[in-house]
Amino acid sequence: MKRSLSTVWVALFLLPSMLGLAGFAQAKPWWMRGIDSNETDFLPPDVAFRVAARIDGNVVKVRWVIADGYYLYRQKIAVRAESPDLLVSMPQLPPGTVKTDPYMGTQQVYMQQVEAIVPYSRIDAGAHPLQIKVTYQGCAEAGLCYPPITKVVFPTAGPPAVVASEPPYPWESTAIIGGACAFLLAGLVLRKGRKLELPA
Amino acid sequence: MKTSGMRYLAGALVVLVGMWAGLKFHSVHRVSDAVTVPAGVASAPDPKENVAMEAAAHPVVPARLPDFSLTDLSGKSTSIAAWSGKSLVINFWATWCAPCRREIPLLKTLSADWAGRDLTVIGVAVDYADKVRQFAEQFKIDYPVLIGEQDALEVAAKFGMASPAFPFTVFTDRHGEVVALFVGELHRPQADFILSEVQNLNQERIALPEARRAIAAGLEAMAAKKAG
Repeated sequence: MKRSLSTVWVALFLLPSMLGLAGFAQAKPWWMRGIDSNETDFLPPDVAFRVAARIDGNVVKVRWVIADGYYLYRQKIAVRAESPDLLVSMPQLPPGTVKTDPYMGTQQVYMQQVEAIVPYSRIDAGAHPLQIKVTYQGCAEAGLCYPPITKVVFPTAGPPAVVASEPPYPWESTAIIGGACAFLLAGLVLRKGRKLELPA
Repeated sequence: MKTSGMRYLAGALVVLVGMWAGLKFHSVHRVSDAVTVPAGVASAPDPKENVAMEAAAHPVVPARLPDFSLTDLSGKSTSIAAWSGKSLVINFWATWCAPCRREIPLLKTLSADWAGRDLTVIGVAVDYADKVRQFAEQFKIDYPVLIGEQDALEVAAKFGMASPAFPFTVFTDRHGEVVALFVGELHRPQADFILSEVQNLNQERIALPEARRAIAAGLEAMAAKKAG
């Protein structure tokens, strides 16, 4: 009985680890594994570069959250007015990281995140919902680039825009918990039947 | 004694599995950081399934080279069928794409190395024609280049890349069967490996499904080696 209980415990703790391994097996690199595969792991552009905007006084702040291993070109960022009777100025962008490529020359890029400050004025007294059109272009360090992306965004007047970040792997947390459980179990199993010996 | 040994063995196994899963997951997470996007299937969809829905949800890499025509560097409309009977390396690229530019020397080398062996490298530039012509001249591209804007994007979509990222490269055998689609910057080891399998296929040393599987497994092993 005792033995079967310990087997159950082992199985209980082993399961999350195995699930973690299953999750790891899904973590494929960015290239597609030939035509026999049915998945590829480069990020869709809207996941690699998430954009949101908010109104802050007389400026619109446009923020891009950039996935790890991806970057946006500073000079490819543009913001234009989309709604009628809206005037926007050139976006103010912070200096980027200098990136030198022998085939592209030296350019400034943004990694992780960047916020553009866009002064604006409205001559319609707020009759139309505020809409701006943003254009940006970026690449993955792994050797992949996306065509320029243009989106119409609706700046919100609320608190700072938070771009939802879903866990990229549904199994990730399971794997971490599984690993932790495995260590705990190992400790329990190996310690069983032994007394803790403290120095006198 | 036996029970105790089993217990130690189980404990050790759990430790190893847990360590491997936890550490490996942690180490790869930031490298890939990916949400998987279904992008291709090996064979024709199951006729019992709703084909239209399936196609919308999962971009499908065609089993055979689809027919398409684009203009060449001189502005002449050219069909891909002009190279029928040859194995093709069709590289989709753009002048604004750094990894695409980095690939050009390799593609030129492949074109030269495989000349006379029924294999042709073709560039499909998804870009403005004048920029491509200028670039092709500057980089002395000596293999055929087809150019298009929206029409080239539509061609990319025919290869299952409706939301394209560049570069990507399609490999076909001499019968027009798509053997592999490689997304991202191609490097010499991968290109040589895929082409060796294409050659095996062309010389009927292996069958098409076998070649596809070998390529998938080989590329996976290469990536694992690089990552590990």
